[in-house]
Amino acid sequence: MSQKLVIDPVTRVEGHGKVTVHLDDKNKVTDAFFHVVEFRGFERFIQGHPYWEAPVLVQRLCGICPVSHHLAAAKAIDQIVGLDPEDLSLPAQKLRKLLHFGQVFQSHALHFFYLASPDLLFGYDADPVKRNVVGVAMEYPSLAKKGILMRKFGQEIIKLVAGKRIHGIATTPGGVHKKITVKERSYFLDGKDIPSIDTMIDWSAEIIDFIKGYHQKNKVFLDDFASYPSGHLGLVNKENGFLELYDGNLRATDADGNITLDDVPDVDYNQHFYEAVEKWSYLKFPYLKHIGREKGWNRVGPLARINICDGIETPLAEKERQEFKAATNGKINNMTMYTHWARLIEILYCAEMMKNLLEDDDVLSNDLVRKGKRRDEGIGIIEAPRGTLIHHYEVDDKDRITRCNLIVSTTHNNEAMNQAVRWVAQNEISGKPKVTEAMMNQIEVAIRAYDPCLSCATHAMGQMPMELTIFDQYGNILDEKLRY
Amino acid sequence: MKNYGIKILVIGIGNCGRADDALGWSFIDEIKENLPDNYDCEYKYQLQVEDAELISHYDVVYFVDAHKEQFDKGFTWGEGHPVATHSFSTHELDPGTVLYLSKSIYNKLPKSFILGISGLSFELKIGLSDKAKENLSKALEFFNQKTLNLVT
Repeated sequence: MSQKLVIDPVTRVEGHGKVTVHLDDKNKVTDAFFHVVEFRGFERFIQGHPYWEAPVLVQRLCGICPVSHHLAAAKAIDQIVGLDPEDLSLPAQKLRKLLHFGQVFQSHALHFFYLASPDLLFGYDADPVKRNVVGVAMEYPSLAKKGILMRKFGQEIIKLVAGKRIHGIATTPGGVHKKITVKERSYFLDGKDIPSIDTMIDWSAEIIDFIKGYHQKNKVFLDDFASYPSGHLGLVNKENGFLELYDGNLRATDADGNITLDDVPDVDYNQHFYEAVEKWSYLKFPYLKHIGREKGWNRVGPLARINICDGIETPLAEKERQEFKAATNGKINNMTMYTHWARLIEILYCAEMMKNLLEDDDVLSNDLVRKGKRRDEGIGIIEAPRGTLIHHYEVDDKDRITRCNLIVSTTHNNEAMNQAVRWVAQNEISGKPKVTEAMMNQIEVAIRAYDPCLSCATHAMGQMPMELTIFDQYGNILDEKLRY
Repeated sequence: MKNYGIKILVIGIGNCGRADDALGWSFIDEIKENLPDNYDCEYKYQLQVEDAELISHYDVVYFVDAHKEQFDKGFTWGEGHPVATHSFSTHELDPGTVLYLSKSIYNKLPKSFILGISGLSFELKIGLSDKAKENLSKALEFFNQKTLNLVT
């Protein structure tokens, strides 16, 4: 008799996801889906609000990466007040970047230490009672301590620029609200109250050494697990094609590294993307128009960014990027589990960039806000921790938002996560007589590599857990496993 | 203001956009201006792993949160104990887990107490219900007595 497995909710991800796996009467997988079952409607209810409220309102999409939404919206609103990114004062640009690097640093630290490391340290088939952050704290207290302090450092940077760690307010149309003081920045440089930025750089390098050691011991697993061809999308620096998180041009490649999109300024994004919908998920499926729905989808996030960039401007991270590229002889990397390695290279990049910015006296300047000539439309694109984040607003002559379109990182990764689920279903579950907890966790391991934020992607709120259900060929539930 | 020597932290947990879920924050609002110098206060949406590091710097920690259960006296009070639970996400760590992590990672286990104040409404709304306000007053009175009338 054919069956369907359902994993609901998916654990150690941000948001509520569900997986279904359809089996035939010989336990062979016939199909598999990653469903996102939340709905919130942020794009709709922001309509009618004054445009200057957008950066404050939309950051409520998420408690993990509100800064990314705040900054993407701020970049869009800058355009509505007549300013392109390079029109902002240098101090404003640098303070926003400092905020952004603090955000990416803390988010990546959270993902690696709290969510992903239990699978790597204990194995995906370890006892789930142990395979979690509490288990990591018990067996690897030094690692846990560093993870906590790295996340804290990023959060303190956010608090420095935005006033508080979650849902602070840093930006104003055309700039930022405040500079930082010499005393405030000393807190991050001198190491007296918290470990210094130099310590953050050292620890970031250490954790890359850990993942490289893990790679040496588990190369076959990392190369093989949930590996499949895909496009890769992200921003790159407008001048030199280097890794860029705050402002750049869009670039995409296909699975072989051929450029499919290049030098596309943010304001032109909607000339190149469509969003498909499926009846079984609230999450849309973006793809490149000129390639089409079937092959035009892209991964975004750390792996994509390291794949598409031509280099990294900070020396230590660039050295690590070259080593990462050498692992595939310079070719494009389509191996999902390498996302963890790429994410840690970005942690190091953020730490180096934070040091550069903290030591730059421009962040002490009072030259914070510029003005321009009013426009009716604004588009802000930023590389959030999980990937390319697009905010697009239109306003009427009374300054009210009339249209809002948000394409969130996790939405770009929707097809990629579905591919990951199908890979695990076909390779690890299909034909097996019994579905075990370890098999279920492998599905989660594959999804977790993308660090999906389902609250952001559906603009939804709610709980976060995973559920596994078995259906027969007629759609009847044969078995169900819930995990909260 | 007299400094009593030991470091004390009061953590208010909640969300002011969710009606009575603001009880933890409202509690902090009421006490923070009049606390002795050795007290610190924190507003939190949820407890997280890094709060283990935060509480490791204190001798005494009070966790204050809204509680869905309706208690006769309007609140519940008890001592906190470290518990090794595991969570599926970064959300919703309980005080026991945070205490456990502090003990495991930092070898510090502050004395702790949990104050749960009964709330009735947790919908999207700003402002406490009348019953929650009443319960908050009772909890404040109890807390003031418990902590030697620290709040003037």
